[in-house]
Amino acid sequence: MAIIINLDVIMAKRKMPAGELSEQIGITSANLSILKNNKAKAIRFSTLEALCKALDCQPGDILEFRNDD
Amino acid sequence: MKSVHLSFICTRIVMVLVLACAAALPQLLRGYFHYTALPSYASPYPLTLLISLYLCCLPTLAALLCLDRLLRNIKNEQVFIRLNVKLLRVISWCCFAVALILLIAAWNYIFLILLSVMFGLFGLILRVVKNVIEEAVNLKTENDYTI
Repeated sequence: MAIIINLDVIMAKRKMPAGELSEQIGITSANLSILKNNKAKAIRFSTLEALCKALDCQPGDILEFRNDD
Repeated sequence: MKSVHLSFICTRIVMVLVLACAAALPQLLRGYFHYTALPSYASPYPLTLLISLYLCCLPTLAALLCLDRLLRNIKNEQVFIRLNVKLLRVISWCCFAVALILLIAAWNYIFLILLSVMFGLFGLILRVVKNVIEEAVNLKTENDYTI
């Protein structure tokens, strides 16, 4: 996939446990796991906003574009 | 849920009827040709018709088994899954197979062409339904994986 979610990297940098993050942004741990494992098909602006707020970062820190060609 | 249960029972009844008809097919055909006016082109003992109808029984039973599985999935609230798309595809191909067998048999028994067209049309409708379900499965997957 061309869009990579570097959520685990940011979480490690901020020393944020998955359970706490999912609680803060209001999604289930199963959905957070989908995000972390790059299995998500799309991400809502509201989720991205909550993630940026909780992790004190920019969307560009979480999302990355990699050219597969 | 009641409707699904009724369809489930109907499928099972039709399955038993198909098996019973297959078992008694020679007698049924003999009886039919005895009591109705025999067409001039048909033989008194319709062996080709018998073989054709026996061949039709196989895809029909396969389609009924798939239908049974499909209804079981719907009963378990698993409607938009890839397996159901596959089952619908198999049922549709079974209809086309019956249509083809009947079309070949219509060479001797022209009235079978009507049945053949009916099965072909039914297979086509099922194919379109399959396409719709396939698209619905894609949409559901995308929705499930939108966080």
